[in-house]
Amino acid sequence: MKRTLSYVGERALLVLISIVVLFPIAWMFLTAFKQPRDAYSLSLNFEPTLQNFVTVFSAPWNLGSMVMNSVVVATVTVAIAVPCAALAAYSFSRFRVKGRKFLFFLILSTQFIPAVVIVLPFFLMFRQLDMLDTRLALIIVNLAIVTPFVIWMIKGFIDAIPTDSEEAAMIDGASRLRVIKDIVLPMAAPGIMTSSIFCFILTWNEFLFALILSRRDAVTLPVGLVSFRTERGDLWELMSAAGVMITVPIFIMALFIQKHFTRGMTAGAVK
Amino acid sequence: MKDRLLPYWLLIPAFMIVLATTIYPLAYSFITSFRAWDLTKSRRPEGFVGIDNYIYATGESQFLNSLWVTFIFVITSVILTVILAMALALLLRRKGPMHTFTRIILILPFAMSPALIGVSYRFMFNPEFGVIANGLGAVFPALQGVPWLADPQLAMGILVLTDVWHWTPYMTFMCLGGLASIPRETEEAARIDGASNLRIIFGIILPQMRGVILVMAVLKTIFALKMFDQVVTLTGGGPGTSTETLAYFIFNVGFRWFDMGYASALAWILTAIMMFISIWYVRMLLSERKMATA
Repeated sequence: MKRTLSYVGERALLVLISIVVLFPIAWMFLTAFKQPRDAYSLSLNFEPTLQNFVTVFSAPWNLGSMVMNSVVVATVTVAIAVPCAALAAYSFSRFRVKGRKFLFFLILSTQFIPAVVIVLPFFLMFRQLDMLDTRLALIIVNLAIVTPFVIWMIKGFIDAIPTDSEEAAMIDGASRLRVIKDIVLPMAAPGIMTSSIFCFILTWNEFLFALILSRRDAVTLPVGLVSFRTERGDLWELMSAAGVMITVPIFIMALFIQKHFTRGMTAGAVK
Repeated sequence: MKDRLLPYWLLIPAFMIVLATTIYPLAYSFITSFRAWDLTKSRRPEGFVGIDNYIYATGESQFLNSLWVTFIFVITSVILTVILAMALALLLRRKGPMHTFTRIILILPFAMSPALIGVSYRFMFNPEFGVIANGLGAVFPALQGVPWLADPQLAMGILVLTDVWHWTPYMTFMCLGGLASIPRETEEAARIDGASNLRIIFGIILPQMRGVILVMAVLKTIFALKMFDQVVTLTGGGPGTSTETLAYFIFNVGFRWFDMGYASALAWILTAIMMFISIWYVRMLLSERKMATA
């Protein structure tokens, strides 16, 4: 009797947790398909429409250009940060060189710096160089946040790879760079993939830099959300449609790495 | 031996990025924090004013208010997130299809843009057509027509809620990893001896999780100190200045009032707080490790 009670209780708890997790997301998705008059009612009985998506992609909202900005900024940031970080992570993981601890600590400690401290000087610098409101400016500042994090994450994955086959290859006369290319990279690929996706998510969702450094041309999706707050009030159905555009690609990626993600997270944090 | 320098060559690209994108701006804003620089009046920095910007901060009520707001926000969100994450992990470490399903969807709140989380909670707590505001009003008549985001305490509560919703999954994953790494033997032996679940959790599991919990608490503190997005999209710092955190206040000083010198000084105060916490964290971890190996 007691056993069944706790069995049922546990399941009920799991259902409750799932509701708390999914409800806000589900509500946003529902609202995105509602007509304006339904968006302001709580009814679940509505005629679904794609009109909101049509509206956000046309003038004056032009969500398409924001999607483009987000894609370019996140992709280029990942393309620069991940290769650099992977090399550094390998070095930190495999070599016991002088000053290694200090350098690693220095790189990690930058994670503790608030973004608002970094963005102030960059704002002034980009203003001077006439680079405000460009994608390049956003890519540069995003690298600041993402690079240390990716080094830390990839190091966790490389640490978990045994060194035996590397050593064997070196004894056979392979150079270190060859070993990295032919042995380490393939074995670390899932970890590097996970880190890349993670890095993409961070950049994609980044808000503070984009809010300060973009005005019109380089606005990314999260900042675009704010523009649906108009003098007529908040246009919830359009915000929700934009929200769906922000979340769908990220959710797909996140579910894809979910399994590795847990491992990568803990490897880095606990060691 | 050409391999001798390789470790350093491998570090150079990443190190250049870190140097250019964090160390340099940090130094720049440190110098700016000793200057007077009103961007609306002058394109170039004005003269050095010593520590005037810092002294001014100590007497300014809006800064002191933002410190207090940040303190309340950090304490409540850290405590709630850590406890919830630990409880969730204990529940989710068991096997079963529902457990797996919950573990999988748990990544969604973490992957959601915090700015968007702020927007969607603002929508759900809207007193007229918000689904949560109305739902609560229907179940508890006393809560009908509560102006959620217009009330200072409630607005702070919802701000904390969005942050807990966003971060608990990540922390749960950390806990799950920690739980997986502790040996199960003691726990099983205790179970055979007839120890209750609560006794096993508090007497056996939690003491072994001390290190992980500490890491979580500190990481969460750092994330909470940095939290910014939801303040903009959920409350705008209001009502009044009741949810104006230090990060948001710095943003206002720098990019609404364009007082670069003062904003830099405030930014460095926030950095100092974070540095203090992270140094304390490293020392705690080191002593923890010593205890574990001793």
